[in-house]
Amino acid sequence: MKKVIFTILFACITSFSIAQETQEVKTFPLPNVTIKTIDGKSFNTKDIDNDGKPIILCFFATWCKPCMVELKSIAEEYDDWQDETGVKIYIVSIDDTRSSAKVKPLVNGNSWDYEVLLDENQDFKRAMNVNDIPHTFVLNGNNEVVWQHASYAPGVEREYIEIVKKLIEVEK
Amino acid sequence: MKQYKLICLAFVLGCFSAFGQGSLLSKGKISGNIQFDAQYYIPDSIIGAEEIENRIRANGYANINYVNGGFSAGIRYENYEWPLIDFEKINYVGSGIPHYFAAYNHEYVEVVVGSFYEQFGSGLIYRSYEARNLGYDNATQGIKVKAKPYKGVDIIGVWGKQRNLFTAEGQVRGIDANVSFTEIFTKINESDFRLSIGGSFVSKFEKDDDPDYKLPQNVGAAAGRLNFGYANFDLQGEYAWKCNDPSAANDMIYKHGEALLLTASYSMRGLGVFLTALRTDNFDFRTKRNAVSNNNIINYIPTLTREHSYALPSMYAYSSQPVEQIGFQAEINYKIPRRTKIGGRYGTDILLNYSRIHEVKKQYVSDALLPDELIDMSGTDGYTSPFFTFGKLVFFEDFNIEISRRLHKSWKLILSYVYLNYNIEVIEGHTGDPNVHAHSVIADLTWKIDNTNALRLELQHMNTKQDKGNWVYAQLEYSIAPRWFFSVLDRWNYGNPVKEKQVHYYNVATSFVHKTSKFTLSFGKQYEGILCVGGVCRVVPASYGCNLSVVTSF
Repeated sequence: MKKVIFTILFACITSFSIAQETQEVKTFPLPNVTIKTIDGKSFNTKDIDNDGKPIILCFFATWCKPCMVELKSIAEEYDDWQDETGVKIYIVSIDDTRSSAKVKPLVNGNSWDYEVLLDENQDFKRAMNVNDIPHTFVLNGNNEVVWQHASYAPGVEREYIEIVKKLIEVEK
Repeated sequence: MKQYKLICLAFVLGCFSAFGQGSLLSKGKISGNIQFDAQYYIPDSIIGAEEIENRIRANGYANINYVNGGFSAGIRYENYEWPLIDFEKINYVGSGIPHYFAAYNHEYVEVVVGSFYEQFGSGLIYRSYEARNLGYDNATQGIKVKAKPYKGVDIIGVWGKQRNLFTAEGQVRGIDANVSFTEIFTKINESDFRLSIGGSFVSKFEKDDDPDYKLPQNVGAAAGRLNFGYANFDLQGEYAWKCNDPSAANDMIYKHGEALLLTASYSMRGLGVFLTALRTDNFDFRTKRNAVSNNNIINYIPTLTREHSYALPSMYAYSSQPVEQIGFQAEINYKIPRRTKIGGRYGTDILLNYSRIHEVKKQYVSDALLPDELIDMSGTDGYTSPFFTFGKLVFFEDFNIEISRRLHKSWKLILSYVYLNYNIEVIEGHTGDPNVHAHSVIADLTWKIDNTNALRLELQHMNTKQDKGNWVYAQLEYSIAPRWFFSVLDRWNYGNPVKEKQVHYYNVATSFVHKTSKFTLSFGKQYEGILCVGGVCRVVPASYGCNLSVVTSF
């Protein structure tokens, strides 16, 4: 029985991976989950918006080193990106009470201009099927997810902005 | 058998939808994720990796969720038939669907039936959550109702049993209310002030069948909290109180429990300051009195210390002690502006962090004092304790500084120093061992060769006269964005007082990322240590072998 299940599991893993290759254009809307803004107000993830322009959505935590490297690298380019494309970046912290109060000092301390959301109970993370962080999504002007990427390697942020530029061209 | 059929069906459905042909359920959306970790174990007597039955081991997890408008449902299949040995050591054996739910979400009300994760306030009296690599999952299995009768007012009620591997045990009930004045009153909303208050009550039930003691069958706990903010300043506080709850963790004393968590922060562009204080006294809260380690826990007591991401300092990570601890943490983030003399062309980030945790000061009640200065608290009120006084014994102390700077367009450097004072007797139960005083220095250099290729070198050294002595660590990582990672590392315990144990714990790894899928293959040695997530820790046994990990979502 065990072997059967493992076979199925593996079969599924492969098929899912293949499936992903074949459905690059498939989009999906954001789920309806209530989380918090950095000021502690309730925020519905449906309200993530950028007036019809693309959005980049990054899941992170204060204790996650690659996340910090990623957010710092993007911060250096964010001004240029905004000028070129009008893209808006939302970052979603999955820190729990141990460190969620650190998010605001961290964001301000680093002079980041991102929109910041707190997902303390990780409801949004689960609804987006995020396994590990960092995990980044690119959304089109209709706030639908068109592209996603797990983990971070230096330079991958160029891919994010390339996708955003393509989206703008298509929408034109 | 019926269960397995169900799993297969679910998988088949999942596969269909992944191909985007799932017209059957085309109105809704199926999504999910899969994690599979396998290892081939090679015994190694020097590091303490034992010969085990069945050398190939694996853990598997699969979440499948369905959403259609306000309705959602999901299951998680978990497989530990021949689990990784760390999971076998905490009794994770078997397979099945321990997590399943159906939920309805409306503007004013949200109902979940089945397994769910939730927390009240900062979690001092109730938090159900999952930390998968710890093997920690205390999801509540029952019903949750969340009502939002008015903008800014949230009421949550929960009732259910607690997940313990493949069974549900104990009984927990709770209610929480939160009122955000900022959202109710437009005047406050438009001002720089922010104010919200909240309160919660949780009770657990366990039958008293103790032959010696008359034990409370219902144990209640209550908490109140306040969040206040003005412009760049924020203050959060939560106080919790628990009825008498004699248990294995508190030596069967009838004393009530208390917990206080205070956090203050101030931040402006380029500067962030964070202060937090915590006191917990007799606040171990579980659905079963005899439960030990990480089992049957109802609440969450965060640790105050910084979670180190570098390997050597994280060897001595503090694990929260709900039974007694008092301490504080301070952290400063400062960015020396770019294009200044000290800040350099790209600016320099400085992070300073200090934390210190002690035992609480105790005065034992006279019933607990036996002749010859012996103490036996069981069956008594235990002790009294002045609220704001630190006890003598240091549990943990951590001073660390981290400086990160971009040296050149393509070079980045992080330098860090960490001092740790770690009470190995209290935290790991090594009776009689002295506190570990460890000094670590870390250098982390990244060279971005071009737009996709990057090389990273990490060097660490830890100096200590206690425990296993000095360590040195070196890691070289090469990445080709966005797909490939290659890493070689060696962690050498060259200062171990026992010569044969001066082992090289090397590891070679490669991973391949495609969109949301990540495949990792590694080979090497894992030292026997402690793995902590969010201040909750467990022991990881030594191992040697080859590891394959696959995660994906769809």
